[in-house]
Amino acid sequence: MLERVTRLSEYEWEVPVGTVPGMRVPGRFFLSDSLYKSLESGAVQQLANVATLPGIIRHSMGMPDIHWGYGFPIGGVAAFDHETGVISPGGVGFDINCGVRLLSTPLTLGDLEHRRELIETLYKTIPTGVGAKGPVKLSIGDLEDMMVKGAAWPVNQGYGLPADLDHCEERGCMAQAESHAVSAKAKQRGMPQSGTLGAGNHFLEIQVVKEIYDPDVAKAFGIHPGQICVMIHCGSRGLGHQTCTDHLKVLEGATKRYNIVLPDRQLACAPLSSPEGKAYFGAMAASANYAWANRQMIMHTTRTVFEKMYGIDYESMHLVYDVAHNVAKMEEHSNEGKRIAVCVHRKGATRAFGPGSPDLPAGYAKTGQPVIIPGSMGSSSYLLRGTTTAMERTFGSTCHGAGRILSRSAAKKTINGAKIKNSLSREGIIVRAPNDAAIAEEAPGAYKPSAEVVRIVDALGISNLVARLEPLGVIKG
Amino acid sequence: MSYEELDHTADIRLRVRSPSAESLFAETALAMMKIVYGESRPGEEARTIELGAGNTENLLLDFLSEVLFLSEVENLVFSTANVHITGNSLTALLTGEPFDPERHRGGTEIKGISYSGLRIFKEDEGYVLDILFDV
Repeated sequence: MLERVTRLSEYEWEVPVGTVPGMRVPGRFFLSDSLYKSLESGAVQQLANVATLPGIIRHSMGMPDIHWGYGFPIGGVAAFDHETGVISPGGVGFDINCGVRLLSTPLTLGDLEHRRELIETLYKTIPTGVGAKGPVKLSIGDLEDMMVKGAAWPVNQGYGLPADLDHCEERGCMAQAESHAVSAKAKQRGMPQSGTLGAGNHFLEIQVVKEIYDPDVAKAFGIHPGQICVMIHCGSRGLGHQTCTDHLKVLEGATKRYNIVLPDRQLACAPLSSPEGKAYFGAMAASANYAWANRQMIMHTTRTVFEKMYGIDYESMHLVYDVAHNVAKMEEHSNEGKRIAVCVHRKGATRAFGPGSPDLPAGYAKTGQPVIIPGSMGSSSYLLRGTTTAMERTFGSTCHGAGRILSRSAAKKTINGAKIKNSLSREGIIVRAPNDAAIAEEAPGAYKPSAEVVRIVDALGISNLVARLEPLGVIKG
Repeated sequence: MSYEELDHTADIRLRVRSPSAESLFAETALAMMKIVYGESRPGEEARTIELGAGNTENLLLDFLSEVLFLSEVENLVFSTANVHITGNSLTALLTGEPFDPERHRGGTEIKGISYSGLRIFKEDEGYVLDILFDV
């Protein structure tokens, strides 16, 4: 598979039509020489597979954190024509609207006393890991409301500020949500889990702003050197997982009915205009809304912990932005000189809308949207901004994180979780997790260097660096 | 239990071998429990699953998804599974213990069971399954 790849420029590579039978457009991905060394054949195959889907426009694209997943590669972006194109859960993933938000505080490093106690309190207050149940008991009516209103639901209940909503992608709510398209089973899973972090690579991290690359934009984002921030990474929990499972089954049947030939069953799909495609889109949007509400509730808990421990006002902690990593959206983009309506799938990729784009709050209209790129545990995270180049080249998209290079089993075999915890502790980073294996799986050595990933998106111009944040403490699911 | 972890960067990919299709289904369900919860003990709780699907692969996917669902909503960690398959229908009896946060947080959450790379094939000694879990 890799032998078919051709290099177009320093950071741009092409997977030509014909690499797998039925490709409608070429695949394109963005990597440096050093990142190319860890590119798996499976990721190229998946990028090529996506190019076979009906209605795909321009390219099947891979961001610099591209790696082998299922269905789409992780780091995969593809836009489909709203009339002739399809929608596929394989381009979104099981964790619908897995995403990340950044909360800024008025504290600086010197103010952050009793750091171990802070981490311990957050770990005890925010339910994490397998089997965790949420702090708020939802009725079925609450849940339905949450799936329709998204982040506005907790804000209306007092778990946040109205201004928070302006600083969420889509204002924390996809209007196309259809809660009736979400199964009873998915709702049953979602009811007890709202406000829980989950497991795996999900985390809450206390960070300090270490370096500013673009002072004007950083100022517009409310970020300054030495500032303490909190990054929250989680998704739609069992509700989203079940929604993907349920609709994958329906769409597998639909794929056959609409005579779509697929190279991978996980790419099961249906025309955007079909009843099956619409049902999945509505259910996916409802699950995405649940995820925004979930991150909002976790942020509320975080604010109350900081308020109590450091005597600062709840209102003085601002949501910088909230972005989705796994989602499909109806958007308008330019293609060959025309404005077209497309469904953009981002699977392990971030929206990176540039200056003047719709959906940006007034404060970010001139800068472009904040793009939040979490590092692996113990390594730097980055704040970037969306650009006009991203609008022109990647349907307003960029990378989402570091991207794995080591499998979880290899990480567990070669990395000792307890040792990692101790060595991070020596560097002043406190890690709290349910077990050491969870730490080994997500250790920095299991991921591509996030600095190299963001260097490439910045060099390509599909987003630009604004600030670097370093971890001080992390709670893991 | 006979399974090995195959290489995959982001997720968990298993190869499971078993003498019969029925034991293959049961062993995969228990492998999944081990991934999510770590070690567990036998228990008195019992649940039955009955379902049908168009083919063996879909039957397996639906069965495993149902095991995940039941385990999560009923807070149960299953340690035994008896599966009976007739044509494309299945009846399974699972037993286990209630979820205990003190003992069952040794694993990682399975978000879903993927169709990608899913295959069941026969070898001389029985059945082999390749399967990918999103974690």
